[in-house]
Amino acid sequence: MSRFLFVVPPLTGHVNPTASVGGELLARGHEVAWVGHPGTLKPLLPDNARIFPAIDDLLEADIRAKRERWLALRGMAVLKFFWEEFLIPLGHSMVPGVDAAVRAFQPDVIVADQQALAGPLVARNAGVPWVTSASTSAELVNPLRTMPKVDAWVRDLLHDFADGDIRFSELLVLVYSSAALVGQEFGDEVAFVGPALAHRVERVDFPWEWLVRGEETLGGQGARCVLVSLGTLNGPAGERFLGQALEALAGLDVRVVMVAEPRPAPPNVLMLPSVPQLALMPHLDAVVTHGGHNTVCEALAHGLPLVVAPIRDDQPTVAAQVVQAGAGVRLTYSRARAADIRSALESVLDEPEYAAAAGLVRESFLAAGGAAAAADRLEKVVAG
Amino acid sequence: MDEVLQQVAKLITEVVGPDFLLGVEITRDTTFSDDLGLESIEFVALADKLNAHYGVDLVAFLADMDIDEIMAMSVGRLVDHITARV
Repeated sequence: MSRFLFVVPPLTGHVNPTASVGGELLARGHEVAWVGHPGTLKPLLPDNARIFPAIDDLLEADIRAKRERWLALRGMAVLKFFWEEFLIPLGHSMVPGVDAAVRAFQPDVIVADQQALAGPLVARNAGVPWVTSASTSAELVNPLRTMPKVDAWVRDLLHDFADGDIRFSELLVLVYSSAALVGQEFGDEVAFVGPALAHRVERVDFPWEWLVRGEETLGGQGARCVLVSLGTLNGPAGERFLGQALEALAGLDVRVVMVAEPRPAPPNVLMLPSVPQLALMPHLDAVVTHGGHNTVCEALAHGLPLVVAPIRDDQPTVAAQVVQAGAGVRLTYSRARAADIRSALESVLDEPEYAAAAGLVRESFLAAGGAAAAADRLEKVVAG
Repeated sequence: MDEVLQQVAKLITEVVGPDFLLGVEITRDTTFSDDLGLESIEFVALADKLNAHYGVDLVAFLADMDIDEIMAMSVGRLVDHITARV
């Protein structure tokens, strides 16, 4: 049996895949631990998960405050802030905690999330093999390739931090997608394992009777259910989109679960600040999202067509993958009007080719193997 | 020069949609990043239009810029680039 240490930033979307892969490794009898922000990790990990602190509550609050400022930025300023004010400082502040965790836990392999730069740095200094957990597939295709000077600037920052491009391990890069969806092939070290959904723990309540009541009383068309999940709202642009979405949904013969802080909503919309998203998926007919990699891949893993309104970061790349696969419709987040949102949603619900294309992606995910495939690859890293 | 500015403003309006530029006059000082908040897909659409209209390659133009230059990239700078090329 071996010891695996996951190094993760205080971001749910980055912890989730490691919760699944770590759960699979635990089920196989390995020793597994996580290092990051305990308060973020605990609700997402199995009950007895071993957690080492690398980020205290004060730093986590500071990161959240920075994130608020970051969400108000637009265009290239987003990227500059992301690297200079978030990723590099976070890497530096996590180094002592990760270092202590490595000494205490003595892992055979360190699995570092792509946004936990302290992982590769500490691993290299300690002489422990490290692999990458890529919680989005977007970085693989290098969205900066058409801007060589910006690309070089990112590489320079990484060289200053760790003397190398530590976004990608040379041993193994776990990507929770499929080659079919990403639409490109890469080296042998890049493992497309599909979404890792097994062993995930969701501790959020949901009024299941609302869902059951609708299915029983409405039947047919009215029983169709849509999840609207737009992530953290992006200032005025987010408010605008949410308003337009509510207007669009009011006129539609579907029931909607919307992830948002409670506010006045049409009677067919159930609004909740958080939902057990994975558990909901089997009850849904379509998903409207800003294009977070996890949400998109969870929907596709259930064969659900999508309406994607990407905001920033990897989201435009993920949205392009969905459109390329034929599994959904893309909207312009800052400009889409109620009529656009309504017609996009009607298209993916009523035109069967979208669900059929999503079904093909689901098959590619199933073939990729999920958490079990990731665990197989990690065991091979230990075996050498 | 004014003619190029007018044409570029027209192409931007086509890409973004007139609803979102109501009351906003596109001038030489308008920045793509901050003022227009051009989304990546709109950027690609604008690049296509500029290429069709002027044979100017927007992607190649930006490829020479560093991150601060791209952040500060204004309509005027694009207009000057087009004027010098056409």
